[in-house]
Order: sequence, then C-alpha cells, then structure tokens
Amino acid sequence: MKSKCVLLVEDNRDDRELIRLAVKKANLPCKVESVLDGAEITDYLFGTGIYHERDLRMMPDLILLDLHMPKLNGCQVLQVLKRARGTSGLPPVVVLTASDSEQDVTDAYHWGANSYIRKAVDFTQFVESVRQVLLYWLELNVPPPVGQTVTPQLVN
Amino acid sequence: MIKDEQIHQHNVFNRRIEVDETIFDQKICCLPECSLVRIFANDVTDTLMAAERIRQLNAELEQRVAARTRELSAANRELEAFSYSVSHDLRAPLRSVDGFSLALRDDYAQHLDEQGWHYIQRIRAGVQRMGQLIDSLLELSRLNFDVLRFRTVDLGEMAAVIISDLHAGEPHRDVNFRVADDLTTEADPRLIRIALQNLLANAWKFTATQPHAEIELSCTRRDAGLVYCIRDNGVGFEMDHSDRLFRPFQRLHGEQEFEGIGVGLATVQRIIHLHRGQIWAEGVEGRGAAFFFTLSPIATDGPDPADEKTGEPS
Repeated sequence: MKSKCVLLVEDNRDDRELIRLAVKKANLPCKVESVLDGAEITDYLFGTGIYHERDLRMMPDLILLDLHMPKLNGCQVLQVLKRARGTSGLPPVVVLTASDSEQDVTDAYHWGANSYIRKAVDFTQFVESVRQVLLYWLELNVPPPVGQTVTPQLVN
Repeated sequence: MIKDEQIHQHNVFNRRIEVDETIFDQKICCLPECSLVRIFANDVTDTLMAAERIRQLNAELEQRVAARTRELSAANRELEAFSYSVSHDLRAPLRSVDGFSLALRDDYAQHLDEQGWHYIQRIRAGVQRMGQLIDSLLELSRLNFDVLRFRTVDLGEMAAVIISDLHAGEPHRDVNFRVADDLTTEADPRLIRIALQNLLANAWKFTATQPHAEIELSCTRRDAGLVYCIRDNGVGFEMDHSDRLFRPFQRLHGEQEFEGIGVGLATVQRIIHLHRGQIWAEGVEGRGAAFFFTLSPIATDGPDPADEKTGEPS
C-alpha cells in the first residue's frame, strides 16, 4: 500500500508524541507531519508564511485537528478550511480532542469536521481509536476525485 | 375639659401638619354650641421616622437576601464549572503518564530489570486509580448540570436488575436479595439508577466476607413521608463516623480490605438532595449497615407502596 501522509495539528508536545507513538503502534503505513497551532496549519496548507516554499501539490491525506489551541483554535481552522474548500479538494478533517463538551461537538460538525474523536486517557484505547480512524480515512474511505491542477487558495 | 362623649357627638377632624421639620397629628374638635374649637396636637415625628426606618431596613434586608442568594448560586455554578474543568484538565497529563509508561513497558522491557519492571507496574496502577478518581469527580460535578426529569420508576425492578448484574460479575457469591413489592415512585430514572447502583454495589461489596449475605430494599412510612431503606448484613461501620460517610474521598475501610475511591456515597447524597430528599445511615461495626433515603413530596403522589406493608390506611 502506498504510504499516506497525516497532518497533525496539536499544540501539546506530549500529545504530538503520543499520537505519533499511537500511529506507529497502529502499524499502518503512513507518515505523520505536525504543525503546532491553527495559524501554522493555514500557512502549511496554503503555502504562506514559513511554508511559502512548500510544494503545494503534496497535500496530506488526512488532517488530525486539536480543538483548544492558541492563536487560531480548531473551529476557526475549520472555518478557514470550509471557506477554501470550494476551490479545491482539501483533505478530510478528523477532530481529535480531549473536550467532551457538547457545544464543541456541535461547533466542530457545524464548521465541517468529518469526524470527532475523543482522546481516551487509557493509552491502549487511544491507540485503538487512532488505528480505526486512520484505517477508515486512509484506506476504506474513497475521497471525491480532485482536479490535478487545482491548488487550494485562501478565500476571504 | 371636654369629655370623650362630647367629642363623639360633634365634628372631629384629623390632620397632619409639618412645622419646622416636626410632624404633628392634630385632632380638631369643633363644639359649635360652646363656640369652642379644641385642638389636640401630638408630635409624631419620631414614630414616623422609626416606621420609615423599619420599612427601609426591611427593603434593604430583602435586597441583601436576594443579592446573597444570587451570589451564592453564582458561586455554586462557578465551583461546579471549576471542578468540572479541573478534573477535565487533569486528564491531559494523565494521558501522558499512561501512554509513556505503557510505551516504556512494551517497547523497553528488555532494558528493565525486575525492580524497573516493578516500578513501571506501580506507575501503571497509580495512573489507573487516578483515572478512576477523575472519572468519578467528573460524574459528581456533572450531576449539577442536569435538570431533573421526573418519570414513574419502579425502584424494585431497577434494584433487581442491578443486583443481577452484580451477581453476574461474581456468580460464586451467595447473596439473598429481598425487595418489597411495588416500589413505584416519581424520580429521575437516570439519576436514581446511579444512586441505587452505588448503594447496592456498596452493600454487595461490604458483604463480601459474609458466607450468606443478605441485602434488602424496603419502604416504610415515617411521619409524613416514605422512607426507603437498603440494609445489609455486611461489615457495617462505627456510628461515630457516620457523618464522614457522605463526604467525597472519605473511606471508613482500608483500601486493601475493600476497593473504592470514596465518591459513591457523595454522589448518592447529591442525587437524593437534587430530589429534595434526605439520606442517612445506621450501622454497627461488624453487624451490617442500613441506608435510609426519602425522595421529594412529589414522589409520594400516586400509588403508595408503604400502605400495603405497614397496613396503615392511606
């Protein structure tokens, strides 16, 4: 199977490392790239700021998005992606958060999240949920066809 | 001097006048046949001022009570939100400890000697316990956010299901569970199930050392209301300590003896209080415990389960 790329948006260093560890333990062929907050992911996806030289033809296959982050929070990131989605096929977004507030779930889906997963405290459960999410979004799910020449653009 | 009878027979006028900030109540008696007008003046300044002051004080007091009530419920809500967010935020570092200690155990086992392995196990056990504590705290703090939804519930049926679940977990135990007939009442089914679950699980747990355990759910009428009782023949407790029973994180038995984190009865008490009921306990060390609770007056509407058992007319 072709190696896929997962983009992780997570401000907590421990969680970044744990998710990498979980992906490794899930034993699925994919590489994990990470950005530290909501501002950085928009730079990453749209080739601005510190990512102005990034090859925009290389898009991640899945975004794992934390909700509570400094600068742009998860829902604000979702809003930016929702506005940009018209111009291109951006990858699906899975919200991966510790929050169990109903409001967060509602907001996340309202702004276009594709799924919402709670981070389990029990690491064995956590690995299992990461494994299932990756299996579904990277292997089982068939994404809509994307025009090859289209690159995403920020829409204001 | 004019006699009272004379005044009554003639025109009497009352008026209030103010002279240099002094207030007088005047009684003016006209006695035309005598060509007399008698005026009685009474200085009422102090009386009026005192009455006004009392009125002001009452109004102030009412305002103060209303303000304090508002402050108190705001503080309560804040405290609930605080305990919720604290217990929620405690999960993040715990996830780190859990994850990394597991990675250490699974991926670095060959680098650990027996003592190192033992330490990892101790870390893992601590994490599990703290996870339980946080979950119970969250459960406890969530109880406040819920609005009670009253439905007709059969406490006896609910209790029988809980007991059969407990029995399924420990099928070797010899436990005789007795439940009174028709314990139908009005309560929030979700919350009352949590309360019964905790009380019955306690009875189950603390009768573990009994070769023939007895657990009973009954209902009697005392004074004006119904009193439910869950009684067991387990290890009991010292009555001197009964006030500590319902406080969170208080345990009357050692952790080695009986598992638990001491939040169960605090949860039960909160649920009963949310139902505007009371809960108390009676026990003798080594000779069993009994937990009594009432539910709000609304709970006594409808069929009255106590009547049949006590034989009292309704």
